[in-house]
Amino acid sequence: MKPLSLTDLAIRYGFLLLMAGLIVVFSIARPAFLSPQSAVFILQSVAITGILALGVTATLVVDGFDLSIGAVATSAMMLSAYVMVIWDMGAVAAVVFCLGMGALVGLVNGLLIVKMRVPDLLATLGMMFLLVGLQRIPTQGNSISTGMMLSDGTAATGAFAENFLMLGRHRIDFILPDLVPLSVVFLIVIAVLVWGFLELTRHGRVMYAIGSNAQAAALAGINVAGYRILAYVISGVMASIGGILLAARLGRGDVASGNNLLLDSVAAALIGFAVLGAAKPNAFGTAVGALFVGILLQGLTMMNAPYYTQDFIKGAVLVVALVFTFALSGRVGRARG
Amino acid sequence: MISRRTFAALVASVALLPSLGLAQTAPAPFDNPGQVDIALVRYLSTGDFFQAYLSGVEKQAAALGVNLQVFDSRQDAALQADMVDQAIALGVDGIIIQHGLTESMKEAAQRAVDAGIKVVAFDVNVENPAIPQVEQSDAALAQLALDQAIADHGTEWVAGFVHVAGIAPLDRRAAVWAEVKAANPGINEVAMFGTLDNPIANSVANQARSVLSANPNIQVIFAPYDEFAKGVKIAVDEAGMSGQVSIYSADVSTADIQLMREAGSSWKATAATNPAVVGEVSVRTLALLLAGENPGAQVIVPPTLITQTMLNDLDIKNMEELGAKLPAFAHADVAMAPWMTLPPR
Repeated sequence: MKPLSLTDLAIRYGFLLLMAGLIVVFSIARPAFLSPQSAVFILQSVAITGILALGVTATLVVDGFDLSIGAVATSAMMLSAYVMVIWDMGAVAAVVFCLGMGALVGLVNGLLIVKMRVPDLLATLGMMFLLVGLQRIPTQGNSISTGMMLSDGTAATGAFAENFLMLGRHRIDFILPDLVPLSVVFLIVIAVLVWGFLELTRHGRVMYAIGSNAQAAALAGINVAGYRILAYVISGVMASIGGILLAARLGRGDVASGNNLLLDSVAAALIGFAVLGAAKPNAFGTAVGALFVGILLQGLTMMNAPYYTQDFIKGAVLVVALVFTFALSGRVGRARG
Repeated sequence: MISRRTFAALVASVALLPSLGLAQTAPAPFDNPGQVDIALVRYLSTGDFFQAYLSGVEKQAAALGVNLQVFDSRQDAALQADMVDQAIALGVDGIIIQHGLTESMKEAAQRAVDAGIKVVAFDVNVENPAIPQVEQSDAALAQLALDQAIADHGTEWVAGFVHVAGIAPLDRRAAVWAEVKAANPGINEVAMFGTLDNPIANSVANQARSVLSANPNIQVIFAPYDEFAKGVKIAVDEAGMSGQVSIYSADVSTADIQLMREAGSSWKATAATNPAVVGEVSVRTLALLLAGENPGAQVIVPPTLITQTMLNDLDIKNMEELGAKLPAFAHADVAMAPWMTLPPR
C-alpha cells in the first residue's frame, strides 16, 4: 500500500485534529470545560439536532434531501402536547402518535418525490410550510401548556405525563449522580443503530449504491423507489423522536421553540462529509459533526462570545468543511478514479 | 531617594485607599468582589426593553466589581435550560434567570440551587421558595395611569379600553381596570378592542378608527401597553379628535416620549418601570443573597408616572434624559444594602 501523502492525511484526520485542538484551547482558557458536567451538556445540547441530522443523513445517502425535518420535530412536539394536555391521554399514546406522524410525513414525502416526481428540495419545502401551519391550527397559534384555556372557554384537564417528561429530563447516575440525561443515551443508541444500518447491512450498502448511481442500481435489480421512500420514512421518524425529546424537555408545546433545528442539523450532516475524508454522507461523520458544532458553541459561550459571533463561526466551519469535501477530497477522488 | 516610579505607585495606592476602605466594610464574598462570578441567562434579548435591562445588569455588576457572564438563548427554551447547566458547570456563584418558561426552567433552576448556587428570577416563575422573584408590578403600572386619568377627568367619563386577553401582564393590567370601573360607576366603557397582529400599532389604529367613528363621544382611552397607545394615537390624529380624546398607557420608550410631546398630543400620561433599573435591582437582589442577606420572596420594582406635562416642563427628549431628569425613574430604592456601590449616574 502506498504511504499516505500529507494532503491525504490532512483530509482524513484534519477535522478530528481540529476538534482535539479546540478541546485543548477551550480547556486551557476555561478549565471547567474539561469537567464531566461540561462533556454532558455538550452532548445534551446536540442530542436533538444530532438525532435529526442522522435522519437527514439517511436521505442524503440516497442522494435526496429533507427540508421538512425541523417542521416534523416541532409538529411532533405540538402533537405530543395536544395528545396529553387536551386529549388527556398517556405517555405511550403520545409517543405512538408522534412516531406514526413522523413515519406518515416521511411516507408522503417519499411518495411525492418518487411517484409524483417532485424534486426532493421542493417536495420537502412544501411539506415544511404545510406542517408549520398545520401544527398551529388546532390551538389557533397558541402554545400548549397544562391548564391552558381552550377556545370554548374551559380549561384543559390533561397534563404532561411524568414518564413522558422523563424522556427529556431524567438523568442517569454515571460517574457523578444524576449526570447523563436520557436524551444523550437516545442520541448514542440511535447513532450506533443508524451507523450499523448504513455501514454493516445490505440495505445500507444498497442505499449508498442508489445514491451514487440510481440507474445502475435499478439495472442491478434494486427496488430504488422503495429504498428512497424508506430513507424519507427514517428521516421523518428520527425527526419525530427529536420532537418528542424537545417536548419532554420543555414540558409544553411551545410555538417559539425549535426554529433552528433544521439548519443546525443540516449543518451537522454536511460537516460530517469531511470527517475521515469520507466525502459522502455517513452516520459517524454526522455524529462527529454535531459534536463539533456543540463543542465549538459551548466553548465560545464559556468564553463569553456573543451569539452572532457564534453564528458567524458556525457558518465559517461549515464552509471550510464543504471545501474539504468538495475541493480537496474531490481532487483525490478523481485522481484515484 | 524616591524614584519617580515609586512615587507614582505611592500616589496610586493612596488614591486607592478610600475604595479599599469601602470594600473592607462589605460582607463576604464582596470583600473580594473580583472572585465573584455571576451569570445572566436570558430568554428574550431583542428589543429596547431587553437591551436596557442588560445595560442595567452590566452597570450594577461593574459597580459591585463582580464578573458577569451573559448567556443568551434567543427564545429557545431548551437552550436556556442548557445554559443554566453550563453556568453550573462553570462554577458561577450566582445566576439571574431573565424570562423563560416555567415548565423548562423549573428543574434547571432547582439543579442550580442544589449545586449551592444563588439564583434570582426576573419575570419568570420557577416555583422555588429559594429563588426570589424580581418583578415589575403590572397592577401598580395600571393603577398609576388610571389615577392620573381620574385626576385629569374626574370620575365621570366615556371610556374605551384596549386589551387582548390571555397575555399575563395585560390580564393583570386589565384586572385593575375592572376594579377602577367597579369603584367608579361614572366611568362608562363603551368600547373594548385590541389585537396583537404585527405591526401592532398599525392593526390597533385600524380598529381604533372604527371605534372612534362609532363612538364619537369617547373622552378617555386606556391603552395599557405602549404599542396599543401608539395605534390609538394614530387613529385619534386621523380622526382629528386629539383635542377631545385623552390616552393613558403603560410602558415608555424614546419613540413614545416623542409621540407624547407632539404639539396637542392626545397621549397624556404613561406609567413605566425603567428596564435598566430592573436590571440593577436583579443584580442587587442576587448580591444580597450571596452576602447571606434575605431580599424577600418577591422584589417589586415600583413604576413611575410620566405625564406629558412633566416631559414638556423638563424638556425630556429620550430615555437617557428621562433617567437623568426624573430621579424616580433612574433609581429604585429596593434590594439595597449600605455596603453596595451603585452605578454612577
